[in-house]
Amino acid sequence: MKGYRDYFLRKLGWFAITVVVAFILNFTLPRLMPGDPVAAIVARMAQGMSNATGVQAVYEQYTELFATDRPIPEQFFIYIRNVLNGDFGYSISQYPRTVGEVINASVWWTIALQFPAIIVGWILGNTLGAMAAYLRKGFDRVLLPVSLFLSNIPPFGMAVILLVIFAVNLKWLPTSGGYRFDMVPNSSWEFVWSVIVHYQLPFWSIVLITIGGQAIGMRSMAIYELNADYVKYARFLGIKDSKIIRYVFRNAMLPQITGLALSIGTMVFGAVVAEIIFNYPGIGSTMLTAVLGGDYPLISAATLIITFMVLIAFFALEIIYGLIDPRIKAAQSE
Amino acid sequence: MSKVILEVNELTTNYVTRFREKIYAVDHVSLKVEEGKSVGIAGESGCGKSTLALSLMGYYFAPLHYSSGEIIVDGRNISGMDPDDVRKTILGREISYIPQAAMNALNPTQRVINFIEDVIQAHYPKTTKKEIYELARERFELLGLPAEVLRKYPVELSGGMKQRTVIATSVILSPKVLIADEPSSALDVTSQKMVIKMIMDLMNKGIIKALIFITHELPLLYNVTDDIMVMYAGQIVERGTAEQMVFDPIHPYTRALMGSIIVPEAGLRDVKLAAIPGTPPNLKNPPSGCRFADRCKFVKPECRAISVGLRDAGEGRAYRCIIPEEDLRKAYQSEG
Amino acid sequence: MKHLLRQTFRSGKFLVGFVIFMTILLTVLIYPLFVKDPPLGIISRGTFLAPGIYVNVYDSMNSSPRYTLILEGAASRRVAGKLGDDDRQAMQEWLVAKGVPEDSIDIADTAGLIALWESNFDPSLRLPGMTNADRNYYIRLTASLEGLLATEDAVVAAANPETGALEEIGVITQTDYVNVGEVPNSRLFVLGTDNFGRDVLTELVSATGVSLIIGFVAGIVATTIGLILGLVSGYIGGLVDDIIVFITNLFTVIPTFVLLILISFSIGQEQRGAFTIAVVIGVTSWVWTTRAVRAQVVSLRNRDHVNLSKLSGHSVAYILAMDILPYIASYVVMALILQISSAILAEAGLSILGLGPRTTEVPTLGLMMRWGLIYQAHVLNYWWAIFPVILVIALITFSLNLMNTGLDQVFNPALRE
Repeated sequence: MKGYRDYFLRKLGWFAITVVVAFILNFTLPRLMPGDPVAAIVARMAQGMSNATGVQAVYEQYTELFATDRPIPEQFFIYIRNVLNGDFGYSISQYPRTVGEVINASVWWTIALQFPAIIVGWILGNTLGAMAAYLRKGFDRVLLPVSLFLSNIPPFGMAVILLVIFAVNLKWLPTSGGYRFDMVPNSSWEFVWSVIVHYQLPFWSIVLITIGGQAIGMRSMAIYELNADYVKYARFLGIKDSKIIRYVFRNAMLPQITGLALSIGTMVFGAVVAEIIFNYPGIGSTMLTAVLGGDYPLISAATLIITFMVLIAFFALEIIYGLIDPRIKAAQSE
Repeated sequence: MSKVILEVNELTTNYVTRFREKIYAVDHVSLKVEEGKSVGIAGESGCGKSTLALSLMGYYFAPLHYSSGEIIVDGRNISGMDPDDVRKTILGREISYIPQAAMNALNPTQRVINFIEDVIQAHYPKTTKKEIYELARERFELLGLPAEVLRKYPVELSGGMKQRTVIATSVILSPKVLIADEPSSALDVTSQKMVIKMIMDLMNKGIIKALIFITHELPLLYNVTDDIMVMYAGQIVERGTAEQMVFDPIHPYTRALMGSIIVPEAGLRDVKLAAIPGTPPNLKNPPSGCRFADRCKFVKPECRAISVGLRDAGEGRAYRCIIPEEDLRKAYQSEG
Repeated sequence: MKHLLRQTFRSGKFLVGFVIFMTILLTVLIYPLFVKDPPLGIISRGTFLAPGIYVNVYDSMNSSPRYTLILEGAASRRVAGKLGDDDRQAMQEWLVAKGVPEDSIDIADTAGLIALWESNFDPSLRLPGMTNADRNYYIRLTASLEGLLATEDAVVAAANPETGALEEIGVITQTDYVNVGEVPNSRLFVLGTDNFGRDVLTELVSATGVSLIIGFVAGIVATTIGLILGLVSGYIGGLVDDIIVFITNLFTVIPTFVLLILISFSIGQEQRGAFTIAVVIGVTSWVWTTRAVRAQVVSLRNRDHVNLSKLSGHSVAYILAMDILPYIASYVVMALILQISSAILAEAGLSILGLGPRTTEVPTLGLMMRWGLIYQAHVLNYWWAIFPVILVIALITFSLNLMNTGLDQVFNPALRE
């Protein structure tokens, strides 16, 4: 177990470093740009925005919260302190709500949508890819072009296609939102049902996008493994094919976990954009309103929270990988 | 004459390519191995010796297919048997195999003992894990391998250790015949020696009753096996005892094969080094007549016209050449 | 080199990808030679005109010669064009809801249905469950029924500029036809118009060109950065290598699109041209090239020919350029191809988020998606404003990926099956 502990600690250390760097980037990048949004917010005060009292309140709070009158290094530590307290100030576009409230209201929708969708897509994609590799012939001949096609449709394109087919033309499912627009979130069955119905299209569009790429990856991994020397050897020692297939798929699946970890960032981006198409009340739509409203505090908090989600997912996958692949433990204990 | 353990008659197997062409990589091969004896099979890469190893198992999967001939193991004809019966009753129990690339022969994500469990339970499903462990430990220790190896993953083993583990695993069910396909070629000299010693031990300790050892290094066989067969383009071109084959080859190809390798051992040092010019023929369309004709120094016009079978040269020797033995020897002498 | 090139084109996958990509590229280059309209020119007053040929009504009315064609079923087609099956169904629903017995309505009998409708329809009547939109629809429908079954000729009149009285200038019978080719003003909209009233096809071709340029620029920026970092890191090694590897690992984990969003947002709408966006995308996506190049260089670093070159006293730059670069060129080309396709996708994603290039100068595929989505083209079923864009993006990425796979198989023979 010592091998695994070392692995775990190393990954944890790496996780901590990436979190710190994410903080630094999130803080410094906007301040390095020519159109520094922090300065822009202050500048906008003079021009007078739509909500005059709101603007004043945002401005005052902003100056205090981000200490824009202090030197940059000090600002950074104040920023860290505020983030750790979950305090991001008022949202400019959705005043008088605070950024914390806006994020809190949307991030759970995103987690509830993307986490299951990516997992389901990964499982389905790998199963199909494994079947294609093992069965070859007819199944493979259908599955490979279909997966190639699926994996080349941009994520937002898949969302639009599903929306037009199932919501606009067949009218089976609603076109947008996370629940019916005339409802207020509550715990009634009616509301839950509405949420489930609205969940389907965004969910399946993310699943479908994930399936394509995963199926192709798994197929080639499994074909590679099926031709591996250990397969031939196990066969010649009289081991049943059904058992050998289990070796093969287990071994082919392992790199797929790493693959998922490495592509999780891109996947989340695709899913965030897909959310916008469905007007889903998640972090994607929040970012869109933030962009449209020039809402810097909200954008900054939203990108930070997404970075966290991706980093945690990456870390979790590496931990799982370390648990499943015996080679990790073995390599560490040498 | 002692009991024949493995008898192969006119075995022919073929590959089927993507374009549905048949390639006969093993072409009417016959051989006999008596109890306690070992046979070496030598030839260049691509001559069909590895395919012969696969074919001798009597268990075929794409792209290799059985075509004709018989394989008789200890009096039992296994060609034509139901493949699942072959798997259950022959593989690992009667005939076992050591693959060419032992480095990757073990499933990387499985402990050695778990693989051995799978092997044994594929044949004797009722054996308990404890019994298997005891059996494996005993067998490994008998072969000079520490029992800790059983608990390890293949990545944790060194190259030589991995190869020895594969060998011990292959003979875990005490098969009658062991087919070793280049078991030592990827190893350093020390490990090579250890592996060969281990294989010879298997015979000496009575774990296996017959051995077929395949290699591209003909001289290596001199130290290992009793008889040697030389293969070229899917056919046997010469067979005889190790002594005869190494020091007194008849067939021009055997002679060339001997000369193409540097052997740092006494008695063989003055054999001059010469690579065989040319490449083996394409088996998709094998040439008519002698398949070695294109590369043979002593080729005559009729070589390309008449295909000749194995000719008996007495004392169990045979060679496949249109030129008589005496004439070949004369030619070798005049060459020096 | 020549041999490799020939082999590349013998790979089926590469060839298919290449043909698709070249078709797109040639269309982008050739189309503007024939259609000289500015891609962002607003042509139609209304938005989302459906694809088709638009014929000037005034010109066709005045067109001479005029032809007489006796076509069977012309009258019924004329009726069907104004009164479709859906309309008939809707009329029946209204009538039934009002209390007309269902069996007395025959929706196939146009004259009977219209008579029944005219005697029963009352626009002020509010039937249960009828929305305002429904009511407006019925009122529009009633208006369009006017003169539907008329067989008389139509008289064209013009106001006399002096007296202001209408004077007959022509008569159009129901069997009159004009040849579209002889009407001086007609316009073909292969893909209709968009929300601003622009010709979608012209805009799409131009947008494809701009998006490809964004892809190339981003790809070249990313590949250049990746190549330099990879070469330096792999060849020089030591502390430099450690630092570059550390940074590369960091950006493998930290999602690059977040950086993209932050930077694009910070630059501000006014500063965001297509070129800027391309450079930003390039600057954030060099990680994979660096990794791939470094791995290759590390394996090449101690080859004999490199050592020989070192002993001959060649400079590091010379060795990198002459002894290492040729061996990794294929990887670099493949990385570039992938960068191009992912950059085009990144631009589209950014634009949908409202962080794409500013909208007034050039169209991009992403901006077309954005406007289509904002104006709800997908929900309102204006497929021509949004699906062609998705198709072009998919075709570009598909063709690039195919070329990449084809190249991979040529350069790494182990992958060939």
